[in-house]
Amino acid sequence: MKKKFVAIMMAAATAGTLLAGCGSAPATDAAKADTAAETAATEAVAAATDAAEAVTEAAEGATEAPAADAGEVPGLVEGDYSTPQEVKVWVADNAVDFTNEQIAEFQKANPDLADWTFTVEPVGEGDAATNVITDVEAGADVYTFAQDQIARLVSAGALEEVAPDNVAWVKAANDEGSVGAATVGDTLYAYPVTSDNGYFMYYDKSVVTDPSDLDTIIKDCEAAGKNIYMEINSGWYNTAFFFATGCTLTYDTDDQGNFTAANVDYATDAGVAALKEMTKLANSSSFQNGSSAGNATNYAVIIDGTWDAESIKQVLGDNYACAKLPSFTTEDGQTYQMSGFGGFKLVGVKPQEDDAKLSVCDALAAYLTSGDVQLARYNAIGWGPSNTTAQASDEVKSDVALTALADQLQYTIPQGQYPSEYWDRAKALGDDIISKTITADASDEDLMAELQTFQDDCISYAQ
Amino acid sequence: MTKTEKTTEFTSMSARRRTGNIIAYIVLILMSIIWLFPFFGLVLQSFRSYSAEYGGMVDYLMPHRFSLDNYRFLFTGETNFIKWYGNTLTIAFFVALFQTIIVLCVSYALSRMRFKGRTALMRFWLILGMFPGFLTMICLYFLLKQFGLTQAGAVPGLILVSIASSGMGYYVCKGYFDTIPKALDEAARIDGASRAQIMFQMIIPLSKPIIIYTALVAFMAPWCDYVFASYVAFGHDESYNVAVAMTRWVWTNDYQGYFTRFCAGGVLVAIPVTILFMALQKYYVEGVTGGAVKG
Amino acid sequence: MANSNTADTAVTKTNPVAAFFSALGSNFREIGTTFAKGDWRTKLSYLIMGFGPLLRGQIAKGLGYLIAEGMFLWYMIGFGAQYISKFSTLGTVETQKIHRKTVYGDNSFLILLFSILTIVIICALILLWRMNIRENFIEEKRLREGKPLETNRHFLTSFLDGNFDKTLLALPVLGIFMFTVLPIIFMICIAFTNYDKSHQSPTHLFTWVGLENFRNLFSFGSNGFASTFGTVLTWTLVWAFFATFTTYFLGMAVAMLINKKGIRFKKLWRTILVVTIAVPQFVSLLYVAKMFAGDGLVNGYLLKWGVISQPIPFWTNPTLSKIMIVLINIWIGIPYMMLIATGLLMNIPSDLYESARIDGASPWQMFWSITLPYMLFVTGPYLLTSFTGNLNNFNVIYLLTQGGPTSGRLTGNAGYTDLLVTWLYKMTVTATNYKMAAVIGIMVFLVTAVISLIVYNMLPSVKDEEGFQ
Repeated sequence: MKKKFVAIMMAAATAGTLLAGCGSAPATDAAKADTAAETAATEAVAAATDAAEAVTEAAEGATEAPAADAGEVPGLVEGDYSTPQEVKVWVADNAVDFTNEQIAEFQKANPDLADWTFTVEPVGEGDAATNVITDVEAGADVYTFAQDQIARLVSAGALEEVAPDNVAWVKAANDEGSVGAATVGDTLYAYPVTSDNGYFMYYDKSVVTDPSDLDTIIKDCEAAGKNIYMEINSGWYNTAFFFATGCTLTYDTDDQGNFTAANVDYATDAGVAALKEMTKLANSSSFQNGSSAGNATNYAVIIDGTWDAESIKQVLGDNYACAKLPSFTTEDGQTYQMSGFGGFKLVGVKPQEDDAKLSVCDALAAYLTSGDVQLARYNAIGWGPSNTTAQASDEVKSDVALTALADQLQYTIPQGQYPSEYWDRAKALGDDIISKTITADASDEDLMAELQTFQDDCISYAQ
Repeated sequence: MTKTEKTTEFTSMSARRRTGNIIAYIVLILMSIIWLFPFFGLVLQSFRSYSAEYGGMVDYLMPHRFSLDNYRFLFTGETNFIKWYGNTLTIAFFVALFQTIIVLCVSYALSRMRFKGRTALMRFWLILGMFPGFLTMICLYFLLKQFGLTQAGAVPGLILVSIASSGMGYYVCKGYFDTIPKALDEAARIDGASRAQIMFQMIIPLSKPIIIYTALVAFMAPWCDYVFASYVAFGHDESYNVAVAMTRWVWTNDYQGYFTRFCAGGVLVAIPVTILFMALQKYYVEGVTGGAVKG
Repeated sequence: MANSNTADTAVTKTNPVAAFFSALGSNFREIGTTFAKGDWRTKLSYLIMGFGPLLRGQIAKGLGYLIAEGMFLWYMIGFGAQYISKFSTLGTVETQKIHRKTVYGDNSFLILLFSILTIVIICALILLWRMNIRENFIEEKRLREGKPLETNRHFLTSFLDGNFDKTLLALPVLGIFMFTVLPIIFMICIAFTNYDKSHQSPTHLFTWVGLENFRNLFSFGSNGFASTFGTVLTWTLVWAFFATFTTYFLGMAVAMLINKKGIRFKKLWRTILVVTIAVPQFVSLLYVAKMFAGDGLVNGYLLKWGVISQPIPFWTNPTLSKIMIVLINIWIGIPYMMLIATGLLMNIPSDLYESARIDGASPWQMFWSITLPYMLFVTGPYLLTSFTGNLNNFNVIYLLTQGGPTSGRLTGNAGYTDLLVTWLYKMTVTATNYKMAAVIGIMVFLVTAVISLIVYNMLPSVKDEEGFQ
């Protein structure tokens, strides 16, 4: 089970700083990663042997990676494709046109498939998992989904393992974290397609004077009568606080997508500090819960991901700016850099009853997630690539939003697998804060009790 | 009582009535404002310029610039809006047609004929009605799937499900039939008319209001069917109805800046249904009033 | 319903069990004697349905029975048998991988569904078989007595006359059976299985677990549903009460206001109000939900005008969101009641008011002693249906709050404004916890049934149904 933990460790530097419980020490660039990993590993040994193993192995993984051949995109394996079949593909609405174009290219490259039918339907990453789980047979053969669904999809039998021939390529071509996100137990179940499923801060330059400090931001926004958006009733966004103060929450899974153990320490002083900061933010008259730029009004700050960049640019115009998440200072004077999840979007293939169709689906998924296509997708609809070559391209590097995200990613934990109950429970925790069921002036004991039930619930989701 | 006393009493009464009426008018005007305000807002937002003010939510009522951007978006083929609209219209039309026929059949049988098991059947249906509809959603989905009536076949599937259980909604119509004197039937039977002839030649021509009421209610329901429609049609954009397709624009994060488009679509959905409803309001009132009394 | 009902129940109340068994006994006796005394045609009809009537020239009836039997056998052999044989286990063959290809095993869902269908079809055939024997019995009796048999023509035309009820009800009953009865039986069965997200067809099997899910619903452990179920049930009842009576009385008040002497443009006022009935709810309610959001129009203006300094948490505060839902429901619900009341108020004989006025009654007294009793009497059934309707009022709740706000104090992803039905919906669609959804569904039924039963028997207007005819 340690291996899973290993897999989700994206950059050794991040892991090191976080495990040491000190989110505020930034690693400046990727070149430092190796040294940082070593220090991190030694630090972690002192803290927990488990974690230490994880980090060392992660570091090993990083050195192994370039050895594999990352260049050649695995094509269609030899086989009989003379009976044309229909392949259904689900992607988000704004990616439909792009995907259709790419599939046409794919068919051109594989003349055997000229008579095959490929239909692309607009089913967003959020809905895809729910729908495919409702009825696997009616689900798409190839679909994009957000990684938080992967364990659920695996246990519902809605995801096929990545073809053995493609595994090495996927692991070599994409960044560590995305590969970890696509792995359940020890098995690679999906093709990473983006690494930008993390969040950072968009802000209005004319309102926010210092984007690096949460208290200042709140003050600025209150003074200007502008809103601050953050979806604190989400298990995904609230880790920005909890991971910042050094709490951890991960789950171990087996190959079938079952959760075997929870590693959680929210019911600690660190957890209380994080929870306090959340109530403080929620108490601001400027605070609005939410992360959907299209539904946000009158905002100066929004904690959101790259997918909303266009929307926010439209609204903020010249005042548009992005930055990593701010840091916050607790009552005892300690300063924490906000952390959070770095997440990924993946392309999955549904289990197939026909070998030829399965090969086609695998080839298509590999094609749609190849470096060139990822780069083209970035240019077309702005999805940040998980492919390391595409990430290194000039276009991607010069993107404001992606740069902010990259800054933030140093402080985040690559998102692993979490049971769906966790997301519901975290929403409930956030709702309690927003509804002032958990008040800003609650005593430490009360907050600790809240976190204790939260932690117990989280543990109960793993059997 | 002298004449003068009478007149003063009258004037005081009419004065009281006048003040009463003024208060009543104020209340009515206030209510009208409350009732119409959201629709007013909806229409205004639908005309907000997409290019100048983007399509997201805002906290002001008056668009800074009016335009037809949002309506244009719905019709230029960027979405399947026309298709969704057509689907909803098709479903509404056929459901209204068949549901009316079935309700008439059931009501006639239960109102005019006495047969073994009649009360048992009515009671059984009453009990069935107490189960929440969503309970059986997944089962209905897989049943329809056996007939190929999900996803691509969702439109006929939804029609089938709606009309299949429409027999249980006979109350209002039966109540109406009950008010038609039985003596008419008996006279016709003496003249040698069969049950079928009585139904088609006598009862149905007398039942215009209730037929219109039944059809109207049946026609309006599919326009807000979100729950089951989304469950049956998932993953097949072309067989969505307006409710399923457009709630995505508000609820799903994939659709940023679609709020004004939602408003425009909402206006287009609301207009025909509202006009139809207003035109047939008289029959609707008769139906609900009768239904309320008969239960 | 009442007159004939009371007669029926009086009979069954004598001793339903004894009555049932004596009827069963006499049935068996008749089956036996018909066989012993019948001719060879009748005897063969026990095996080949409709054989007797066919040979006696009753082509239409005979063919009907024969076709029914043929179809039954065809169904059983081709379809039903394979499912019903697995009914007790709901399938044992696991899904396998052959190389990389997936070979699905048994599909527990379909096994359960088609087993139930098959059981019902078998019951139907037994009933038909019994009718077929009765038919033979009657025909033989008539022939013995020298009476002519019913002609085919007469038999067929009877479906437009004496048997017209069967013609009319055949399709509706079949439709209701397939798409309401069968699914309900199926879902009741699901409540006794472990069908949830980790036992999902076709990849995984599910099986019978007895009463475990019900135990879970009533258990108070950390993941037990009992306290949450209590909270949701309470709110469901409170909501249904307020939703029904606020709209009832306010609707009546508005109707009286518009009916008031001297008020002009009556039609205009009514037309304005009914717009909430006409506009599809997904449009109007979604817009209203956004209007009252923390960052919505209402808060936006109140903040701008300086009326408030913090946005009002219309949807995020549990109590406030409940109040908002009831208020917005008034907006939706008043017009219905207004339309109903408008018609009914006109029916109250005006001489009642006239004589009350001569007695010096105030308008308020007249309302209490004349209008209200009359309205309550005639709209009793409406109140009941509207109450049960509100217990299951999905749209208003789901489109406004989706059941939120949720809380760590509630389990199963329930929120403070969740009704049992919206909770059930979330459990089905979001959590795919079908087994618990089925249990909740059964609970909704029980609540509705109990309330209906109690109220129904209290209604004065129901006690005399035939009186209206």
